[in-house]
Amino acid sequence: MIKRVILGAVVILVVAAFIIVWNPSISRIDPPAAGSFKQADVDHGKVLAGLGNCGTCHTANKQKPFAGGVSFPTPFGTLYSANITPDLDTGIGHWSEEAFVRAMREGVDREGEQLFPAFPYTHFTKVTDEDLHDLYAYLMTRDPVSQEKPANKLEFPFSLRPLQAGWKLLFFDDQRFEPNADKSDAWNRGAYIAEGLGHCTACHSPRNDFGAEQTGAAYDGALVDGWYAPALNTSHSTPVAWTEEELYQYLRNGGSELHGVAAGSMAEVVHRGLAEAPDSDIHALAVYFNDLSGAGGTDAAGARKTAATAIRDAKAAGQRQMGHGEQIYAAACASCHANDPDSPNLMRPELSLNSAITAPDPTNLLRVTLEGIDTPSGLDGVVMPAFHDALDDEDLVALADFLREKVDRPAWKNLQARIDELRQP
Amino acid sequence: MRKFVESLYNAATNGSRNNEGTGITRRGFLIGSAGAGFTMAFTMSGLSLANPAEAAEKGLFEPTIWFRIEPDGKIVVNIVEAEMGQHVGTALARIVADELEADWDDVVLYYVDSDPKWGTMVTGGSWSVWQNFDTLSRAGAAGRQVLIEEGAKLLGVSPDQCRARDSQVLAGGRSVTYAQIVQAGNISRSFTDDELKKMPIKPPSERRLIGKDTLARDIPGKTNGEAIYGIDASVEGMVYGRPLIPPTRYGSTVDSVDDSQAKDVPGYQQTLVLDDPSGTVPGWAVVIADSVTAANKAARKVKVNWTAGKTAKVTEKDILEEGRNLIADDSKGALVVDDGDLKGTFDGADSVLEQEYITHSVLHFQMEPLNALAFKKDGRWEIHTGNQWQTLILPTLAKALGVKQEHIIMRTYLLGGGFGRRLNGDYAVPAALASKMLDKPVKLVFSREDDTRFDSIRSPSVQKLRMAFDAEKQVIGMEHHATAGWPTQVMAPGFMPKGANGEPFDPFSIQGADHWYSVGAQRLRAISNGLANDTFRPGWLRSVGSGWVNWALESFMDEAAHQAGQDPIDFRLGLLKAEGKNAGSAPNSVGGASRQANVLKRVRELSQWGQDMPADTALGVATSYGQERNMPTWTACVAKVHVDRDSGKVTLHHLTLVTDAGTVVHPDGARAQVEGAALWGASMALHEGTEIDNGEVKDHNLNSYQPMRMRDVPAMTVEFIDSTETSVGLGEPATTVVGPAIANAIFAAVGVRLRTIPIRREAVLEALKA
Amino acid sequence: MATKIILNGEAVTLDVADDTPLLWAIRDHAGLTGTKFGCGIGMCGACTVHINGRATRSCITPVSDVAGTSVTTIEGLGGDGSHPLQDAWVKAQAPQCGYCQSGQIMQAATLLQDFPNPTDEQINEVMSGNLCRCMAYVRIREAIHLASDAMGTTASDAEEKADA
Ligand code: FES
Ligand code: FES
Repeated sequence: MIKRVILGAVVILVVAAFIIVWNPSISRIDPPAAGSFKQADVDHGKVLAGLGNCGTCHTANKQKPFAGGVSFPTPFGTLYSANITPDLDTGIGHWSEEAFVRAMREGVDREGEQLFPAFPYTHFTKVTDEDLHDLYAYLMTRDPVSQEKPANKLEFPFSLRPLQAGWKLLFFDDQRFEPNADKSDAWNRGAYIAEGLGHCTACHSPRNDFGAEQTGAAYDGALVDGWYAPALNTSHSTPVAWTEEELYQYLRNGGSELHGVAAGSMAEVVHRGLAEAPDSDIHALAVYFNDLSGAGGTDAAGARKTAATAIRDAKAAGQRQMGHGEQIYAAACASCHANDPDSPNLMRPELSLNSAITAPDPTNLLRVTLEGIDTPSGLDGVVMPAFHDALDDEDLVALADFLREKVDRPAWKNLQARIDELRQP
Repeated sequence: MRKFVESLYNAATNGSRNNEGTGITRRGFLIGSAGAGFTMAFTMSGLSLANPAEAAEKGLFEPTIWFRIEPDGKIVVNIVEAEMGQHVGTALARIVADELEADWDDVVLYYVDSDPKWGTMVTGGSWSVWQNFDTLSRAGAAGRQVLIEEGAKLLGVSPDQCRARDSQVLAGGRSVTYAQIVQAGNISRSFTDDELKKMPIKPPSERRLIGKDTLARDIPGKTNGEAIYGIDASVEGMVYGRPLIPPTRYGSTVDSVDDSQAKDVPGYQQTLVLDDPSGTVPGWAVVIADSVTAANKAARKVKVNWTAGKTAKVTEKDILEEGRNLIADDSKGALVVDDGDLKGTFDGADSVLEQEYITHSVLHFQMEPLNALAFKKDGRWEIHTGNQWQTLILPTLAKALGVKQEHIIMRTYLLGGGFGRRLNGDYAVPAALASKMLDKPVKLVFSREDDTRFDSIRSPSVQKLRMAFDAEKQVIGMEHHATAGWPTQVMAPGFMPKGANGEPFDPFSIQGADHWYSVGAQRLRAISNGLANDTFRPGWLRSVGSGWVNWALESFMDEAAHQAGQDPIDFRLGLLKAEGKNAGSAPNSVGGASRQANVLKRVRELSQWGQDMPADTALGVATSYGQERNMPTWTACVAKVHVDRDSGKVTLHHLTLVTDAGTVVHPDGARAQVEGAALWGASMALHEGTEIDNGEVKDHNLNSYQPMRMRDVPAMTVEFIDSTETSVGLGEPATTVVGPAIANAIFAAVGVRLRTIPIRREAVLEALKA
Repeated sequence: MATKIILNGEAVTLDVADDTPLLWAIRDHAGLTGTKFGCGIGMCGACTVHINGRATRSCITPVSDVAGTSVTTIEGLGGDGSHPLQDAWVKAQAPQCGYCQSGQIMQAATLLQDFPNPTDEQINEVMSGNLCRCMAYVRIREAIHLASDAMGTTASDAEEKADA
């Protein structure tokens, strides 16, 4: 793969050489006074920052929100997020709204430098002027934090910023969100959030060799930041289709009875990102994703029935197994995860319905099992212990195999390799 | 160890010894090896004389060391047995209280620390009630007598006009409470052993507490976190230790210790290499830290290089193979029973049945991992831990610490399970050694993995049984050869009686085999497996030898029944004739084999014996007299199982157990013991079991070791025979009947015979395919 | 680093390393020894405590993961040790050695919260993670049924809620 990438990079470099890789610097301004923004705009900006999940990527130290410094290991090297507090020297204090909007929409910073597409301007470009204004208002009224951004550690030739221009030429479409007239307002609102600020496909879609989202594969599911973001379109792996209500519960509270619990990066999205969003937005997202998953017509009762059947089948399949994995499940897992098929309990996440088990990639199951889930993530108040010192590799493989057999899915092939990687300190 | 045992024996020879070679010692075992049988007991009388002067000074009434009555009427009963789930304190105190005519609400239990005055301190063999019943009854009766005498004085009547009831002395319409009597002073009577022996006790019909249910006194504290176990012990200034256990039980030496990585662990202090004059923990190192967690973290980072002992490569297979070779060699072992012309009988037999039976290694896996807190205080060593046999480990601790035994006291704690593991107090030794090296209190907490690696496991065993039949298919002879690692040989060799051929044997490792069936010529041979003894320290595990012996015996009796073409219960009843040596004798085995026949008949009535069952479902039976011919607990069990032919999975549906344990002191506690013991039997038959691999047990924790869990528990019917005969033990017998009952049921269900426990699904499947 | 939690209703600061298992923080630092250590790998249940009201194995839960939560141990269950489960446990004379029982009771509390009238099958599923080496299982099961009956009013409340 790396060979292909390098070859591709050279091609891009050549292409880039032929276009004008130049953006003007936008002049520094004196930071606008806090009072120059309407409070309503600032407040709305806060919600938008949540929808965009800005805080997660731009906060390395919880004491210093938005001061950047979060590292992003990519196949091309490690990138660090920028300080987006209005600090004059290290942040965006001197950025005018125009500069801010350009960065969001074109991936070019105030001084005219290309930004790496790890910053999802490919999505933010869809955002409306009003929303960008409010977001700007919100960021510019944060406490300035002085914190230098660590230098990116990219391999040559990816370290060449102008290369990004070539990348853009291939993979970037500078366009505002276009509503779909055939769909409801809620659907359009959901799509606007998901495709724009929410940049959901950034995690949930596989990327090509150049790190761009693959065309035609939106929401097919992908491994990102050490977590597996499961498929959300019709290829989703869970036995029960996502109903609007389930989606709403999941996005609002971090878990749904028929699907499970948001963990890892999705926990951040729910508990930090979406926490401030109004119910109407969460509903809109639910409408949109419900449609996307192809479950448009599924009603709640139907979903419950499907779930009951799936749980029952899994229980029966589990009882037929008598091996090592089953024994571990009975001793270590069932106390917290066993459910009545007809009324699975949100507080007892039902594994046979959970994409951590049904997805084609074992990462989420392995990580959650090894690391556990602490209080800030996961469901409110539910903690899962960490089994990294409790289960050895053989136990983990046996358990994973058992859980896959329970839900009638083929055994994961890369278990041991994945365990090795995840066990790396 | 040997020295200690000899000293006990010397004590025995100095004391009174009777002519049959039964040594009665003040502080030792009572061992008899009369003819074919053996008996095993302790005299608990110890120094039953309390210190009357001291009692008087404190205004107490303390007629014997077993209890005292305080001026407020509180009756404090001293419990010398370890409390480990049997509710033994409640049972023993009820015996005292019954004779004392005490109000049960006045009774308080006091679990004593080690002291020579208690005599031999051991809790095992299901002996507690049996061996204390008489002593405690007489002590209670003595107290009642004095209280009546003193009460009569206070009431101004003669003692024979008085009776005692509910902590009062009553005469006509008047009464005086025990508290008032004690407050009135001057009753500093106490009794000598001889006086106590003559003390009359009440007839069973007058008992008011014995045989009646009550709430066990140890239970409330076990539901609210108040109960204190060894692992909860703490003392000011203690440090925590975590053992680093060598690759072999014996003969390992530490070549080097590298703790450079551990130095980064906050709270890590140092790693000690132990030098153990007692030879209990050779090749051990101990990580010392500020907390359990720091010790655990550091232990992972300390690298110890050991030279392993010579058993480093031994496997389970090697041990079993050794067992087979030993059995094949007629010159080995002790003849525990050698009755009649065995060779002639077998040579002349019409048919002979011969089978081999195997049991694999079993872990104790008591819930509370091993631990001990040791420190020196005021010139005396204190060992704080839960233990079942203080008298056995004290001399070893003395040797390890280089002090006199009198300078060590073992404090008493609840045990988070004993099951025989803590008869062997070896785990206290490393704590004591580490404390001595540091001159600080050390609390040694074993991880579960340490605990299992250092377990005194139930040895794997090999047994061969043969039976001779005449032309009428009547049984005319039987031989039974059993070999395993011998705990008593390793830890207390002085307690081994001699067989008919003069060879000593571990009675605990052959118990249960000297059965009450009348089988004509009979030979019973017990052989120690030296390779097992060298590889691990064999343990006394709940029911010890009868755990494997009865597996073979009762599986074999079932095979014999089929060979003879008889119903398995009828066949057994035909052999339980209660004649000759099986007639039984007073006081312990009144009725002999007839009582075993009786429990069998009763279990037949209670189970669905002889009724139609669903496909691949059937009943199997097994019976036992428990462990000792001199303390028979008549037990019978029927197991109902279903076998899944596709997977080989055996599901245990129901257990029916009938027990005749003579007088039952605390019925609900007795029932609990039978329930637990029976499920242990089921667990060892179907769920647990490990193997020796590379010189140590293969399974170290619950990720691979699988004792029975809630979901595996069958329905149970438990019944006791109403009886006023001598009270015998209950903690173990039910353990021994369940395994063979299950195997016999499997045979009845699907026609395959399993001769190895644990019975694995794969083995059933293979047998079904064959 | 110190971790702050509410332990049996009182705010406490556990001054231990972040990766210290909650079990040892409770036992050795907070001095509450009712919670027991059995296996250290989450498979015996002896160490079960409640975190925000739900049974959790404390032996493999790092103390930092529970920062800010409310932790209840057997000592704090029902306030004065008379939680219906504890009464039922005494009534059924469930404990033998007792070592597993704190964990059994804490797990049973969550069982009854989720399944107010549990079937034997539900008890088996939820309680099989709690090993009782004394094999007091028959009575533990009986005690759970007793407690469920005693808590009857609560149970029907819970049902009503579920039905609503
Ligand atoms: S000690 Fe925590 S589950 Fe065993
Ligand atoms: S009561 Fe002893 S382990 Fe459960």
